Amino acid sequence: MIRTSRTQMVLSAVGIAALLALPWLVKSDYYVNIATQIVIASILAMSLNVLVGFGGMISLGHASYLGVAAYLTIYLTAHAGFGPLAGALAAIAATTILAMLFGYLALRASGLGFLMITLALGQILWGIAYRWASLTGGDNGLGGAVRPRPFGVDLMNPTAFFYFSLIFLAAAFWLIARFIQSGLGQSLQGTRDQPRRMRALGYNVWLIQWMSFVFAGFWGAVAGLLYAYYNQFVSPQALHLTTSAETLLMVIAGGTGTLFGPIVGAALVVILKNVVSAYITRWLMLLGIIFVAIVMFMPEGLVPGTRRLRGILKKHQASPTTQALPVTGERPT
Amino acid sequence: MTAPALEVKGLHRLFGGLPAVRDVSMQVPAGERRLLLGPNGAGKTTLFNLIAGDFPPSRGEIRIFGENVTRKTAEQRTHLGMARTYQIITLFTNNTLLHNVVISLMGLLKLRFNPLSDVRRQKALWDEARTTLALVGLEHLADKRVADTSYGERRRLEIAMALAQKPKLLLLDEPLAGLSTDERRDIQRLLQAIPRDVTIIMIEHDMDVALAFADVITVMHRGQIVVEGNRADVVADPKTREVYLGH
Repeated sequence: MIRTSRTQMVLSAVGIAALLALPWLVKSDYYVNIATQIVIASILAMSLNVLVGFGGMISLGHASYLGVAAYLTIYLTAHAGFGPLAGALAAIAATTILAMLFGYLALRASGLGFLMITLALGQILWGIAYRWASLTGGDNGLGGAVRPRPFGVDLMNPTAFFYFSLIFLAAAFWLIARFIQSGLGQSLQGTRDQPRRMRALGYNVWLIQWMSFVFAGFWGAVAGLLYAYYNQFVSPQALHLTTSAETLLMVIAGGTGTLFGPIVGAALVVILKNVVSAYITRWLMLLGIIFVAIVMFMPEGLVPGTRRLRGILKKHQASPTTQALPVTGERPT
Repeated sequence: MTAPALEVKGLHRLFGGLPAVRDVSMQVPAGERRLLLGPNGAGKTTLFNLIAGDFPPSRGEIRIFGENVTRKTAEQRTHLGMARTYQIITLFTNNTLLHNVVISLMGLLKLRFNPLSDVRRQKALWDEARTTLALVGLEHLADKRVADTSYGERRRLEIAMALAQKPKLLLLDEPLAGLSTDERRDIQRLLQAIPRDVTIIMIEHDMDVALAFADVITVMHRGQIVVEGNRADVVADPKTREVYLGH
């Protein structure tokens, strides 16, 4: 069970304050836009973390929900005459239904089989988006979307759109945190650790995993909606395996099975991709090196790894040998 | 007439071409203490797994309290009043003992599908879990992680998790395996205290403990039942001697 300590609460409060003050701190639309990208990627990574971290189901098809929701949002609002709200709701609903179908198909297998089915389903969608040019625009993608104006707020303004996205991130964080502590969330974690035992205890393991799969798909769709608004354009790249793999990388780098891990992972990948790539041509190599370093020194991910190091440090400080050290810093002989 | 707690007819299970359970038929009346005996590889645990629904039989029929459960899943059988423990301890080692029992209790509640209600706030559930732990003498360890407990304490926790579900039919797979003499005595006392409205089927190798516990004994060998009867009959039967001593 995840427990909220005082330190975590303080860190959360500082984090929230920093996020709210961010547009004033960075004073540049470019960095505000980077922050918005982190927010969108965080929602997608958090949703994948429900499957990977809390359910033990490694998916390589999670970009499907991002891409499908983005395509639907743009198609419905810019080409099919839907209003912004109706288009958004329809896109999220349709993508969630797609997650129901994908979950039904993928959960026929577990482990590597599950991974391969999700990969195959994702690539089928990518193939459709790439080849069905009359509907999706093919390789050229689909554009023409306009950001909505909720309550008259102009979301074309980067700061306004950042806050708009932040509201969704807060909702996603709160609801996913609540889900993790809920009956279904606890059941999901049980099925991850001991599926056979869970069956013997009366749990329908398949149904629990499927419900969680759909829940994760829903938040993937929300990320897709924001992605469509942010870019006002979508191409098959949004559905591609590399997007799914990148999201998985965010989750693993930040720390699976933690609430903050995917956010940290998303920040790391997005910053490397956008900021570092401006200075270093081979930024992908740098990303690889960083990932290898994480796997070597913090295999559990940055968030749990930092927590572990802090624990070791605290223990070391509290140990009698350390306490007995002279205050002058002289080493005992 | 009340239906037997468990009825098995012509149960057969093949693994590849190898028959692990061969045409097993048995009836266990409600309230009985039944002991399954047999050397390693006799098919006792496979029979348990078939009864529990871990895998389907190649042929045959299983009835629990008169209901045909042959095609039912393991969780559906649990909802009919069956609970089990495992030969190899299967627990949630990173969670506390209390949390393990809560997970067990939740298995029969609709709460297990609820995506919004916070399990931590289900006070009645946690209280019930604590009471169950007290039943097996583990209340003082309630907030300890399973990973930090001894083997004997884990065995007791396994039984607590099964008892938490208030079963009508309890399957115990070698509950005394790997325990010290003192721990064996504790578990034995615990099992004897289980009320008679719970039917118990137990696999055990310790003859002294097992014989003292059982009303009826079924001896299995090479996937088949070779002897069945009360303690005196089974001990006196030359087939029992043959199975255990090979002559």
